[in-house]
Amino acid sequence: MPREPSMSASKAARVGEEGRVDKVNAELVVLTYGTIVAQLCKDFDGDYVQVNKQLDKMGYNIGLRLIEDYLAKSNTMRRCSNFRETADSLAKIGFKIFLNISPTVTNWTSDNKQFSLIFEENPLADFVELPDDGRAQDELWYSNIFCGVLRGALEMVQMQVEAHFISDVLRGNDTTEMRVSLIRYIDDELPPEDD
Amino acid sequence: MQNNPLHITIFPSYDTTTQTYSPVRTPLQFSLLLSGTLDVFEARSRHLANPTAVGGANMLLSGDFGLLHAIDDRLAAYGFETNTGVKFVAVVDMRGRPAKNAAAGSGGGRGSSGGGIGGVGLRDNELKPVFRAVQTAYVRLLQNPFYDPDETTPLAGAKRITSRKFGDEMKRIGETWMPGVTAL
Repeated sequence: MPREPSMSASKAARVGEEGRVDKVNAELVVLTYGTIVAQLCKDFDGDYVQVNKQLDKMGYNIGLRLIEDYLAKSNTMRRCSNFRETADSLAKIGFKIFLNISPTVTNWTSDNKQFSLIFEENPLADFVELPDDGRAQDELWYSNIFCGVLRGALEMVQMQVEAHFISDVLRGNDTTEMRVSLIRYIDDELPPEDD
Repeated sequence: MQNNPLHITIFPSYDTTTQTYSPVRTPLQFSLLLSGTLDVFEARSRHLANPTAVGGANMLLSGDFGLLHAIDDRLAAYGFETNTGVKFVAVVDMRGRPAKNAAAGSGGGRGSSGGGIGGVGLRDNELKPVFRAVQTAYVRLLQNPFYDPDETTPLAGAKRITSRKFGDEMKRIGETWMPGVTAL
């Protein structure tokens, strides 16, 4: 059972609203991303498993850099005290700042280590129709770059997570849902001391 | 100029004697009618290229070619061309619709596109919403990264539009439109 939204959830929503949207034309971004995915599909000859992997990798590299911008824009110097707070910040600040959407955080496991992000809207997927080759509908996760972004960004703040989509409206599912699992907190590794 | 068809949707007309819905022409006949309108596009654009032509500038700006060809006492073809040379053609069954959708129609592509539709005594602007809606659908189609417009060129095999969304939208436009409708 999901708990009452904590104080941090509403605060997170407020911080997310404060971010000003920069001058980036959404269509440009959407078309650029679409071109990348379509080109990957061509380059990998329709091997969608590989395409998913590449998207995740690209996202990971974006996440590594994006986190810094996120921290600067969100004005939060404080660490999230638990994974629930992290999830709320992701959904209500992170996605809000960069995409102006707020996916719903839900379906927590009882150990508070796994949750789902449900995307009511997904700007990346506007106008997209998956190729009608009988496989893309079952194999391609069109927005898989998001998974990598989360993984990369959270890794930079000492959280190792695993993220993958489990449904997508593009495939004909009712919802677009991403599953995020906390694997472990990465301990600050001290550099080897000089002798 | 490429003039291969991108998409054709045919709508059934209402037959008052048999009280059934059926297209007034075969798909082949519709296809030929549409191809026939292409010459009108060409002739008109040449005419419009002449800056002194009456109403030329207006038509060029909007892309609306109005009535292209009154095929017989029943069917009339209206046309629209985008700045990239994609042509939309709507063939209208002038017998109107006694019941609901009396419509004979068709569309095409970098040839032509459109919907067949019933209506009596159409005014000039009557088909504007149709073309606007078709254009919107076409823009959406182009924004799908998996749709490759190059595949529709004759050199690449002149593929037709296979998008289900686009097809459904054409169907919706053809079935919703009737004279007097201002937005689709």
